[in-house]
Amino acid sequence: MKILVADDSRVMRQIVIRTLRQAGHGGHEVVEAENGRQAVELVQTEAPDLVLSDWNMPEMSGIDALLTLRGAGNAVPFGFVTSEGSDEMRARAEQAGAAFLIAKPFTPEAFDEALSSVGLVAS
Amino acid sequence: MSILAPTPVDLEALVTDMWASFVGAPELLLPAAPPAEDVPLWSATVTVTGEWRGMVTVDLAEPAVLAVTRGMLGFGDDEDPDAASCADAVGELVNVVGGNVKSLMPGPSTLSLPVVSHGPVELPSEMTEATALHLTWQGAPVRVRVLTATPA
Repeated sequence: MKILVADDSRVMRQIVIRTLRQAGHGGHEVVEAENGRQAVELVQTEAPDLVLSDWNMPEMSGIDALLTLRGAGNAVPFGFVTSEGSDEMRARAEQAGAAFLIAKPFTPEAFDEALSSVGLVAS
Repeated sequence: MSILAPTPVDLEALVTDMWASFVGAPELLLPAAPPAEDVPLWSATVTVTGEWRGMVTVDLAEPAVLAVTRGMLGFGDDEDPDAASCADAVGELVNVVGGNVKSLMPGPSTLSLPVVSHGPVELPSEMTEATALHLTWQGAPVRVRVLTATPA
């Protein structure tokens, strides 16, 4: 399976990848994007099985990336990994077609639960 | 008139959770006196605008910046992260605190991208300190503050 990790922070991308490993999902191939625009491009060229995206990014936000993908008919499973975990943000994410929202700070267990919800088994 | 802001207990719980999750070091954050004026600090800020208006700042002395960045990147003690990685790590700390503070306050509101400076940051005059945590980690000062917009 292939996972696209989108975050403008290289440090946070490393933490997300490390947490995937700690959650038992270290066997998946990982592709990285620095913003929403790059994430949209990489979804089209790399065809990942899951997108894990920050919300607040320069160039294009995570929610705009999701809306762009859904507007183009792309149904890739999409989850947010963001510091903004309010009910309002969760509702916006769900309305836009996100499968889940993991709030920072997070645990490996939160990752495993979220990935399992979209059918990705530990690898 | 009282100004709505997170309590010190809320802020400390959030910072402690973030440290455990991202920095992953066994040393605890401990309460401390405010940092001396002459201690050079890295400063990172985010602003929240909307129904609630405020600013969150995270200030760390250089040794804490280096140790935090090593922890977040999984580096060994003998590896020195570059300045860009340090700025990235400190910016992500304030982003996480800011996002969680935003979630605790009335919405809707918008969180800015983090701004990081290697030195003191000029705070807007309309912002007043509402909550402050003065901490020490591995012997170096760490300060987390929430400032709120003064009512007109």
